[in-house]
Amino acid sequence: MNSLSRIGVLAWNTYREAVRDKLLYNLLMFAGLMIASSILLAQMQIGKDERIYRDVGLGAIAFFGVLIAIFVGINLVYREISTKTVYTMLSKPVRRWEFLVGKYLGLLTLLAVEVGIMTICFLGVLVWKGSDFSIGLVWAIAMIYLELALVTAIAMFFSSFTSPYLAGMFTVALWITGHLLADLRAFGKNSDIPGLKELLEALYWTLPNLTRLDFKADASAGNPIELARVAMAAAYSLLYSLGLMVSAVLLFQRRDFR
Amino acid sequence: MNAIRTRALHKTFRTGFWMRPVEAVRDVDLEVKAGEIFGFIGPNGAGKTTTIKMLTGLVLPSSGEAWVNEIPASDPESRAGLGFLPEGTFFHDYLSAREFLDFHGALLRIPKQLRRERIPKLLERVGLSGAADRQIRRYSKGMRQRAGLAQALIGDPQIVILDEPMSGLDPLGRKEVRDVILSLRDEGKTVFFSSHILEDAEVICDQVAIILSGKIVKQGYLDELLGQELVGSELVVEGISESLHEELGRQARRAVVQGNRFMFEFAGESDGEKALDRVRESGGRIRSYVPKRKSLEDLLLEGLEQEKRS
Repeated sequence: MNSLSRIGVLAWNTYREAVRDKLLYNLLMFAGLMIASSILLAQMQIGKDERIYRDVGLGAIAFFGVLIAIFVGINLVYREISTKTVYTMLSKPVRRWEFLVGKYLGLLTLLAVEVGIMTICFLGVLVWKGSDFSIGLVWAIAMIYLELALVTAIAMFFSSFTSPYLAGMFTVALWITGHLLADLRAFGKNSDIPGLKELLEALYWTLPNLTRLDFKADASAGNPIELARVAMAAAYSLLYSLGLMVSAVLLFQRRDFR
Repeated sequence: MNAIRTRALHKTFRTGFWMRPVEAVRDVDLEVKAGEIFGFIGPNGAGKTTTIKMLTGLVLPSSGEAWVNEIPASDPESRAGLGFLPEGTFFHDYLSAREFLDFHGALLRIPKQLRRERIPKLLERVGLSGAADRQIRRYSKGMRQRAGLAQALIGDPQIVILDEPMSGLDPLGRKEVRDVILSLRDEGKTVFFSSHILEDAEVICDQVAIILSGKIVKQGYLDELLGQELVGSELVVEGISESLHEELGRQARRAVVQGNRFMFEFAGESDGEKALDRVRESGGRIRSYVPKRKSLEDLLLEGLEQEKRS
């Protein structure tokens, strides 16, 4: 109970800190503009207006969400250490795991608000243009959010033991690789290079496979999305994020704040 | 009862590309009694902050043990009755002082109603009532230090650890911090503070420990350490002849001319008193005569000498 209370306080402060940062508003403004630009893009195409609204809208929510998750995520812990604000917090009866979980939940709250605002913009465009809104879109946006949760956990994992620059590079590399894992695996299967197939197969099963969470294409095309697939993807994201956070805590636990 | 205790506390950091070991703190034994003001004295880089960070859970000891309130410092519960002001003024500066104190009070699980009552009183105590709702980033250094001090006191702790609380403050700011420390002792709290400003420590401490190169070289109550023995005297005079000036200058450890004033520092008490008589006989004017006890500075210098020899 004590832990929950402290985690809540830390999460609220993390959220408050991010909300007072102007960068967030700039990113949100760009996301809104990008979603609105789908209207212009649709006018340049013939016959596929609705698909463009959905593609651009979902793409913008995912892209700007990932930008915030990475840029805020890698700095979340590092900034507290480099500015030494961590001293006054961890010199209280606050466990180090509570600190990390609080920071993580604070950023997830921020991402929920940010995805919510972008979704409202997206829905506004769909309603204005009289486009259909299917349940598939809800699943796609929910999975974008779970992808952001996973990317945030990756960023926090790296930032618990390295600089924000390296943490940023590693997180971006994993995010890109995570979206290409299925293609890389297929490439490995057809490759004659010795050991490459096994290597890519191993990467496929160990690195975060973000294609599992990518429902955007199906939702945009209006294809049916089975609930079981959604449940599996959600469980995958949550378990992977949990594993990363446990690893981050183990590394953070032994760290000296000099 | 000991408020703070350490036994053979040791910290080795690994630094640089080759991870060379650097011993920051070496076998430190401390005993701080409840209700005392304890000064942790030493030059910059002596190991004061590392020791404090081991007491507050920010740095993990390489070996040895530490207890705060008789609870091992490795247990976060040892920090439940502890207030800590870190060195420097690094706080969440996007918050106002009121929000900052509320946040830290909430971390200590102080009920909201109690926080509402306590925060204005604390702000008043550190002289920040007029700037309570201003963001900390707009504060001067002294104001930030006072906000940090209020943060250390928000939980009404029994033990307060202050790392260089007077560093970088002007004389008025230093006096204000000294007054807060003294008032904490009056309330029965234990104050453990580090400083390289010896005058401050000498004025307010009950007990001190001097740390040099990570090792405690002297520790004890100020009266015991400094003793009552006079170690010298300082005489300031005017209107003496050139020949007397030369004569006293030969006997003094140090002689300084300040306009028409002459200052002489004598090594022993008797030399000073003889000089006093000579000035009186010659009709010179005595502006001041101060017998000197051993000071913390002398102790620190002794420690440095010992260290050099060893």
